[in-house]
Amino acid sequence: MEILQYSIRKLFSGIPLILGVTLISFVLMVYFGPDKTYELLGKNPTPEEIAEVRSQLGYDQPFVVRYVDYLRELATLDFGNSDSTGERVDALLARTIPVSLALTAPGFVLGNALGILLALFAAYYRSTWVDKTIMASAVIGMSISFLIVIIAFQIIFASSYGLGWFPVRGWSIGSIGDYFSYVAVPTMATVFVALGYNTRFYRSVLVEEMTRDHVRTAKAFGVPPSKLFYKNILKNSLIPIITRIVFSIPLVIISGSLLIESYFGIPGVGKITYDAIISGDQPVLKAVVGLTAILFVLAQLLTDIMYRAVDPRITLK
Amino acid sequence: MAEDKKPPLLSVQNLIIEFATENGVVRATDNISFDIFANETVGIVGESGCGKTVTGLSILGLIPSPPGRIVGGSITFMGRELVGLPEEEMRKIRGCHISMIFQEPMTALNPVFSIGNQMTDVLIRHHGLTRRQARDSAIEMLAKVGIPAPAKRIDEYPHQLSGGMRQRVMIAMALSCDPKLLIADEPTTALDVTTQAQVLEQISKLQAEFHMAVVLITHDLGVVAETCRRAIVMYCGRIVENASIEHLFASPRHPYAKGLLDSIPQIRSQRLEELPIIPGRVPDLLQLPPGCRFADRCPRADGLCSEQIPKLAPSGTHADRVACHHPYPAVQAGSAS
Amino acid sequence: MNTVAITTVRRESLWSKAFYKFSRDRTGMISLVFVLFYMLIAFGVTLGWLATDWSDVQGGKWEGMSTTYWFGTNMIGQDIFSRAIYSTKTAFEVGLVVALIATAVGAVIGAISGFFSGTWIDEVLLWLMGVLDSIPFYLFVAAIVFAMQESPYAMHVAMISTFWTGSSRLVRGEVIKLRGLEYVEAAHAIGVSELGIIFRHILPNTTHILLVQATITFVAAIKSEVILSFLGLGVKDGMSWGLMIAESSQEVMAGFFNNFLAASVLMFGLVMAFNMFSDALQDALDPRKVS
Ligand SMILES: Nc1ncnc2c1ncn2[C@@H]1O[C@H](COP(=O)(O)OP(=O)(O)O)[C@@H](O)[C@H]1O
Ligand code: SF4
Ligand SMILES: [Mg+2]
Repeated sequence: MEILQYSIRKLFSGIPLILGVTLISFVLMVYFGPDKTYELLGKNPTPEEIAEVRSQLGYDQPFVVRYVDYLRELATLDFGNSDSTGERVDALLARTIPVSLALTAPGFVLGNALGILLALFAAYYRSTWVDKTIMASAVIGMSISFLIVIIAFQIIFASSYGLGWFPVRGWSIGSIGDYFSYVAVPTMATVFVALGYNTRFYRSVLVEEMTRDHVRTAKAFGVPPSKLFYKNILKNSLIPIITRIVFSIPLVIISGSLLIESYFGIPGVGKITYDAIISGDQPVLKAVVGLTAILFVLAQLLTDIMYRAVDPRITLK
Repeated sequence: MAEDKKPPLLSVQNLIIEFATENGVVRATDNISFDIFANETVGIVGESGCGKTVTGLSILGLIPSPPGRIVGGSITFMGRELVGLPEEEMRKIRGCHISMIFQEPMTALNPVFSIGNQMTDVLIRHHGLTRRQARDSAIEMLAKVGIPAPAKRIDEYPHQLSGGMRQRVMIAMALSCDPKLLIADEPTTALDVTTQAQVLEQISKLQAEFHMAVVLITHDLGVVAETCRRAIVMYCGRIVENASIEHLFASPRHPYAKGLLDSIPQIRSQRLEELPIIPGRVPDLLQLPPGCRFADRCPRADGLCSEQIPKLAPSGTHADRVACHHPYPAVQAGSAS
Repeated sequence: MNTVAITTVRRESLWSKAFYKFSRDRTGMISLVFVLFYMLIAFGVTLGWLATDWSDVQGGKWEGMSTTYWFGTNMIGQDIFSRAIYSTKTAFEVGLVVALIATAVGAVIGAISGFFSGTWIDEVLLWLMGVLDSIPFYLFVAAIVFAMQESPYAMHVAMISTFWTGSSRLVRGEVIKLRGLEYVEAAHAIGVSELGIIFRHILPNTTHILLVQATITFVAAIKSEVILSFLGLGVKDGMSWGLMIAESSQEVMAGFFNNFLAASVLMFGLVMAFNMFSDALQDALDPRKVS
């Protein structure tokens, strides 16, 4: 009950963020964005035809009306039809979001889990060669562009010049085996790229926690180092860890999958977003921006509730 | 003193601890030696930074390393050498035979675990109790240190307790395995005056009940006078005087100790927040004078003092020791009050 | 007067200590040499001394490595080595412009936000940062590209508009800490204006954080530039490693890897050197850094 009340209040307090995100994007994309009138008209249009198309697209309405319209679309999750394909935007999203989730989930989970594991190792063996090797590898990993990793992994694991184990591109899933083979190279690439950043971040969180007074107390009472790490230090570090993981979810779904999906030709949200960017498909872009903002508000709510579960000092207020 | 003939419970000999810092190697304790006997309470007094905490930590093998390192000396506990003891062996001693409580009750307990969880952990680890037994035992300990409604309090988290209560929890945790030696590092410094007195009283009471030795690290001479049998005065990483309370307070031999005692107001309504101020500056641990470290501030200093380091040596008929070329004369114990 | 003197002394010892520490950091010094070497190349290109033939069609299709074409030629016979070298300039230009402006903007806004923390000014600025961080980056860039009608600086503007929030949050936190310090309160007491306090007393004390943050932003900008150019949202005229990789994505399917490797290796070298430089700088300058 308390959580429910809190959640409702928190969702309301997310409204300014949603307004800000939609307003800025709306001004940039819709107001300054491309004018699609002439694309939709034949050669030598008459002024009447022009006016008709403009009114169809809503261009003849004043700014405020169009923006409020956008908010109404967001509130009802009804974004109309895509400019380019004519498909309903909600249907388009319902088709593509599951694909993106299926595509990014394994890499996201593995990237964070392995990152935490490596960070625990590095912190446990702090300033020994184990730590130094892990951290040096992390810097190397961080220095290789995502783009390069994607292409290199495609060559190495999927192309005929390399091992040729997995499909080069595409997404046609008939069985669980298909799924694994299509998701393998994108997953390896995302894990590779995320691992350096994650390990470094998690290690610094753990190391900072290691220097706290209560860790010294635990040592003074004979807690063995392995337990010190998995019990005391890890639980105390959960707040920054949760924050990082939860807040990267909205970005991973949209931005993270954009490059991978457009490169591998996988029909997820990232791909339709990219296509919409290139073709100026405003209904799709408006939907993606609006939903991302909502995801951020939900992420905030989720982290607050999780903090509460982890740290007894935090109350939901 | 009959018990002084028995072997000491803890014996620290010529202990040297160094820290590697950005500006060079700092010697935090320089050749310190002292003994602690069973069942006695010994105070360690000295200004902030003189090496008290480091000394306490070294006994448990908890010098943060790097940057710290025991360079030389020995620490024997019940006849066993602790310097160089494997970690695993050391862990069996920590919290079991030797316990330590810390200055900061606000941060010394883990904020995300209930105090019951933290206390039972220790009991399960050292005494192999079941969770149920450990919990009962922990509740009993909490009652002993004067926590009201311990069965309820045990499930609370540190932030729900006041500073004094937290320090009591620390004490309960420290005593739960019936240690032979308790090192209390400024256990009351962070508390308000009334709580200070209560916590100290609690420590004294439990010291007798548990038959343990207590090393009470403090900068409050009043605390030492009330609770300790003997006091070790440290200055700048060295022990300058080690004497029984009666002797020390009646006639301090070392000029630094005398300075400290002289500057305590005779009638005090409040405990001191800081050690009394003695004119002059504490030398930088990186640029120590070749002779006595107190020479700059000492009224009795002469040429010898600035050339030769005074050794800690027996200072008369008693078991007392002082490190000074020109100590003040001993006065008959009991003749001053 | 007095407060100014005290802060100056504190700054000087921080910087001279940092300088000493950095100069003894071997990886830091080596990475600095690499960074300077790349910078020389970028200068050389800017001044028209290097890689002037990057757009000339000179050789045949996909020639291998030779003394004329060190990395061979691309699909239409352009010298890959020249193109990769020329792209160094592009990367540096984007990195420098974005890092300097984003950090400066972040510093000013962060300082104002921190100084007025607890008031509506801070609330509004925090809201703005939250909003900018929540707009999907690629979409934001695309929107700015459209809004600026394909200006060659649209990408720069987009990156600056989003990257400043990082520095801003850091500076904000630092300012909140500094605001309570004695010398700031002293300045307040002797009647220095609020703007004066922010810019003369507080901001100078965050320069070490800003320098580190600028290097981090530099790396982020270079990496983003490559991906944006690849996606067709970044560099349009001129050459960049991202464009080379875009070109090469067809070539690698035909088994010709020179273009891809040249761009990748050069980019990796710069980013790696800069990352290590940034780390060493942080070790030397940031007292909060735990290692
Ligand atoms: N972690 C550390 N790193 C570097 N030097 C330290 C560290 N801990 C203690 N020291 C050095 O040891 C000296 C004694 O410290 P400490 O034992 O904490 O003093 P105190 O008597 O106040 O408890 C300090 O002055 C400092 O120079
Ligand atoms: S040795 Fe000399 S300087 Fe040191 S305390 Fe004794 S008299 Fe003073
Ligand atoms: Mg201390």
